[in-house]
Amino acid sequence: MSPLSGSKRSAIAFALVFCSGAGLLFAQEQSATTISHQVRGIFEGAAKAVVKIHGVDEHSEICGTGFFVDPTGTLYTAYTVGGEAGNFTVEFGGKKIPARQLLADIRSGTAILKVDETTPALPIGKSEELELATPVVSIGYPLDLPMTPNFGMIAGFDRKCLGRYFSTIHLRVNAPTQRGEAGAPLLNMKGEVVGIVVSGLENNSACYAVPIEAAEKIRSDFVRFGEARHGWIGVNNVSPASKEVDGSRAMVTQVADDTPAAHSGIKEGDVLLQVGKKKITDPEDVFDASFYITAGDVVPITVMRGNQKMTFHVQASRHPASRTGGVLVASPGTIPGVLPMSLDEDAPPSP
Amino acid sequence: MDEFNDNEIARLLRLKRYEQPPPGYFENFLHEFHRRQRDELLRQPVWRICLERAQNFMSQLDMRSLASYPTAVAAVLVCAAIFSLKVYQQPETARVATQSPLTLSVPVNAEEEWNLASPVAPQILRMQPVRSFRESAQTHRAAPPRYVLDSVPVSYEPTFRF
Repeated sequence: MSPLSGSKRSAIAFALVFCSGAGLLFAQEQSATTISHQVRGIFEGAAKAVVKIHGVDEHSEICGTGFFVDPTGTLYTAYTVGGEAGNFTVEFGGKKIPARQLLADIRSGTAILKVDETTPALPIGKSEELELATPVVSIGYPLDLPMTPNFGMIAGFDRKCLGRYFSTIHLRVNAPTQRGEAGAPLLNMKGEVVGIVVSGLENNSACYAVPIEAAEKIRSDFVRFGEARHGWIGVNNVSPASKEVDGSRAMVTQVADDTPAAHSGIKEGDVLLQVGKKKITDPEDVFDASFYITAGDVVPITVMRGNQKMTFHVQASRHPASRTGGVLVASPGTIPGVLPMSLDEDAPPSP
Repeated sequence: MDEFNDNEIARLLRLKRYEQPPPGYFENFLHEFHRRQRDELLRQPVWRICLERAQNFMSQLDMRSLASYPTAVAAVLVCAAIFSLKVYQQPETARVATQSPLTLSVPVNAEEEWNLASPVAPQILRMQPVRSFRESAQTHRAAPPRYVLDSVPVSYEPTFRF
């Protein structure tokens, strides 16, 4: 076997480099095409259940986006779309049909509307499965343009923005959104709803979405009681502890008198470990955990007192903000087959 | 004049020769004249007084030098009227209303929000009853629609309490 000449070796090396570069480019193109196909598939699969909502508020006509979550015509949207307006109509199946408000909950930033039609529905996913940089798709009606898909990724799980705390963790999504897309569904790559777009961010290059679990909690309250029932146990202040105890720095520093927390035995100085199903590691966690407490339900709260781990079962009362008057508009009987349950405000707290 | 003959006229003139005005008549004559003139003026309607004053004012001005200004003003007014009419009659284009963002008061120190005396507390969770817009539904039909996407979420929590 005769050795290769210098020029032949150079040609082979050049060919190898060229082939590898072309291969990389081809792979990238294939990857982009795959993503494009996936997004298009999600868009086409979900488009029938996404609607444009028209309403009239005290200033003018408003337009936003919403989506059906069950075949009986129940749809979710943002509070800014369906919360304080009236005379709703929904563009569905090529025609405008009237819709009515079932519930609007400013704390979650969502509203539930209903049309009297049989509708397609989007499957509900789990926002807990999302991770940083998970790709997501939102589908909305920007301005007066047709339905539009937006592709982006989860940029963060924010508890606060500009120094103010959200009632529950908000999904920050790096996907461009325009006016008119409030209430748009945020979908994972399986086409399941994981959030509801509630607001934009700077220059609308990103947006905030409420996790779908928050909206489902409100819907569950509505089905059970005919209204949103935010819970309250009476811990008035949680501060960062000087040292971490069993993985948590959330120390109870004030318990209001004559509240479920006080009756159940929670004391100042207890370090919160878990509220309901949510683990607590620092004071900011209490917002998200407490959001999912429903008034009337018994909530297990685990704390560390000294070296002793204790669990209290606290029957939550109504959130102070809910006592002044709810936002229920529809009567509880508007969902067929659902009997609203009553909640005894003065029910004694569990020992 | 036929009714009076010369003798009668002569008799009347003789009688008038001895008539005298009351004391102070000539001293107060000018004052009385002005007073009666003012009374006469005030008896006129207001519009006539204004018209007279305007006429006096205009007559004092040099109209030749000012003739170009009213013309220019009139031309501008006519142009504005035509323009506004055209704008009003234009078909509605898709205008996008700006969603008024919520005012954010960023606390200097977020730690301060951890107590009960948070200044933002009253703004949080404004659980207002949903208003009825039935009566206003027809009022705003002509306004361009507002495409909704707030720049910030609508609700915040006041303190670390639950």
